[in-house]
Amino acid sequence: MAKINPDFAKEIFKYGNNDFNACYNCGNCTAVCSLSDKDNSFPRKMVRLSVLGLDDKITESLDPWLCYYCGECATLCPREANPGELMMSLRRWLTAKYDWTGLSGILYKSLFATLFAFIATAIAVIWFSAKLNFNTEAIMHFGHQFEMISIAAVFTLILLPNIARMWWFTIIKPGVKVKFKTYLQSAKELFIHMFTQKRTLGCDDSKARWFMHLILVFGYLALLFTTVVLDWFGTENMFIIALGYIESISIFIITAIFVTGRIKKNRELNKFSQPSDWFFVIWLFLMGFTAFIVRIFIDLDLIENNLWMYLFHLIVLVQWALIIVPFGKWTHFLYRSFAMYFEKVIQANK
Amino acid sequence: MSKSEEYDVLVIGGGISGVEASLNLANQGHKVLVVEKDLSVGGKMIHLSKVFPTLDCSACITTPKVSEAARHSNITIYTYSQVNDIDKKAEHDFRASITKFPRYVDEESCTGCQVCEDKCPVVVQDQYQYDLVGRKAAYVPFSIANPRIAAIDIENCSLCGACERACPADCIDFTQEKQDIEIKVKSVIVATGFKLFDPTLIPRYGFGLFKNVVTSMQMERQLVPTRPFNNVLRPKDGKMPDNIAYVLCAGSRDETVGNPICSQVCCMYSIKQAQLLLGALPMADVTIYYLNIRSFGKGFNEFYQQAKDMGVTFVKGKIGKVEELEGGDLKLRYEDIEQGVVKEANHDMVVLSVGILANDGVTSLFKQNLELDQFNYVNQKDLLANPAQTNIGGVYVAGTASGPMDIPDSILSAGAASSETAGYLRGGNHEK
Repeated sequence: MAKINPDFAKEIFKYGNNDFNACYNCGNCTAVCSLSDKDNSFPRKMVRLSVLGLDDKITESLDPWLCYYCGECATLCPREANPGELMMSLRRWLTAKYDWTGLSGILYKSLFATLFAFIATAIAVIWFSAKLNFNTEAIMHFGHQFEMISIAAVFTLILLPNIARMWWFTIIKPGVKVKFKTYLQSAKELFIHMFTQKRTLGCDDSKARWFMHLILVFGYLALLFTTVVLDWFGTENMFIIALGYIESISIFIITAIFVTGRIKKNRELNKFSQPSDWFFVIWLFLMGFTAFIVRIFIDLDLIENNLWMYLFHLIVLVQWALIIVPFGKWTHFLYRSFAMYFEKVIQANK
Repeated sequence: MSKSEEYDVLVIGGGISGVEASLNLANQGHKVLVVEKDLSVGGKMIHLSKVFPTLDCSACITTPKVSEAARHSNITIYTYSQVNDIDKKAEHDFRASITKFPRYVDEESCTGCQVCEDKCPVVVQDQYQYDLVGRKAAYVPFSIANPRIAAIDIENCSLCGACERACPADCIDFTQEKQDIEIKVKSVIVATGFKLFDPTLIPRYGFGLFKNVVTSMQMERQLVPTRPFNNVLRPKDGKMPDNIAYVLCAGSRDETVGNPICSQVCCMYSIKQAQLLLGALPMADVTIYYLNIRSFGKGFNEFYQQAKDMGVTFVKGKIGKVEELEGGDLKLRYEDIEQGVVKEANHDMVVLSVGILANDGVTSLFKQNLELDQFNYVNQKDLLANPAQTNIGGVYVAGTASGPMDIPDSILSAGAASSETAGYLRGGNHEK
């Protein structure tokens, strides 16, 4: 028997700006959605489940991740119930739901908690640097070590268990029987979507959005690889140095475009930015920008006398790695591609 | 040229509500002037096929009333005329200025023989057949028009003079000019009716782009005795359709087009047309895509059930988009709400059940600002006690000028307006 959560609407309002109770169930949103098909008819179904407070049904659904938010449903909704923004809010809510630590939920719902976390991490970095007597070499060494350790730790302690929880909620708990072979056969889907986001191309809006996002993903992953594995800040190799420059430039230019879009609210998907969206895109910008400046300082031999610049970069990096990646919007990188993978698995099983 | 006239009541609009209110007042001995902007009185109703839920002939109800009004000794009708402004000087003292536009045909001597129409070389779209066919620039508006006399459409006229030479009554007169008339009346009834929603405002439904997407009024015209073709044909290729879709709430209950309210008639007229179509095209399938069927009036629900029993298919779900297929058929995408699944269906003709909107421009007629409600209909300040009363004493509202309603309700509303007006003329209702 279905269990109704009467406070669900109130809970969802904390995750985003929407008015789904205005819905009169005409199905216009589902009909105009170019990604909606007979196997996954959304977003009205999600609106209905939200209105009814059937949060268990939403938890076991992959639909919120299958929406790539072109905004058509919201622009054309005859009740102005904004189904697109509800899908966005549900993605935030699901991110919190999948997170076993519960920190995602706290950070999404409370701007105060988020600011506190950001300030605390900044203080910790400065305090730690003071302990190292603000020795540039030591700090930069530490920074490089931190990157490697944090990636390993966040991945094994937070992200992997959360993906497992997502799998549990969407496949095991609803009782979908899947053969092990199917998981292997569908694995290709996971990597295709993780690295191409090609589903966005199904959206009716401009292809430029997909392309910029694609460049951003590759730029980000490549910069991560260049700094962590190729030790960009330490290397003398001209090729690696140039590579890092290109990656960091592409990151901060594209994120600057995205930030401008959110300020101008030039698209439906930009109209209701939450703190989590701002932090994600601004910190990504800062990551690219500060890395770029730090490397310039290194090349111009300015870094010894301008340690503050590296410290600034390190603070941004630590905040990114310990707050945004495990508990913030970064996770959509994994959840979206795993959703496509699980969906493929479920369909293959039918 | 300017002249001055006096009446008891000025009725703005010669549709069914205006005519009904005029007849009620004229039968009580009041002198009534009806000002109609169109070439004929009868409003929208005179163009309809049948009325719901009785399936009575619409024209057979309208035309006797209209011709009774036209022949009534207490009623004067100015067609093709407009009210420019109305000023309330005191209770029972309204001054209005009216412009009578030239038809370029002498109204007294035209016999409606249509010889001019025969000779006229200019063909334009016929607005009275809702652009389904053409008409001439010299024309009798439609066969049951009242007055049934010709007019020259001067904007499209080539001034060749063929009609003038052919007219046996010698009544075509290109020297006619517009006439300004000052009138003094004791009371005013606003019966300006409604306008149809323009479906090009919903580009995803493809009206104007895909020829086999028509409005409900165009379908209505195909079902009347005075229809343009002798059968129901789809516009693109003249094929008899056999799988027709109705798209309800096209321009009603939709915030995105600025009309969030229900038009009150679309469900029922669509059900009516579906029944008529099953008679006109016995082999055709008719599907009605709806959000909610609002069959609230007397006999309406039975009428809805009857359509179901006759084999009309009802699908709950708003049409999201319409695409044209090769050959002119149309693909409709919608969510089947009962199953929660997005679906596509092909039809060879799509009828958009367009909603009704307030006729704008009424408020600017009055020097003493006539209040409108939030949807631009005339505000009924005392809806329960005096439903026809507007914010100006002595000014009453009848029919769809006050909000969307069907024909029986419009007649009732006209009845209310005429009796409240009669009370006012007798000296009551002063303070309101």
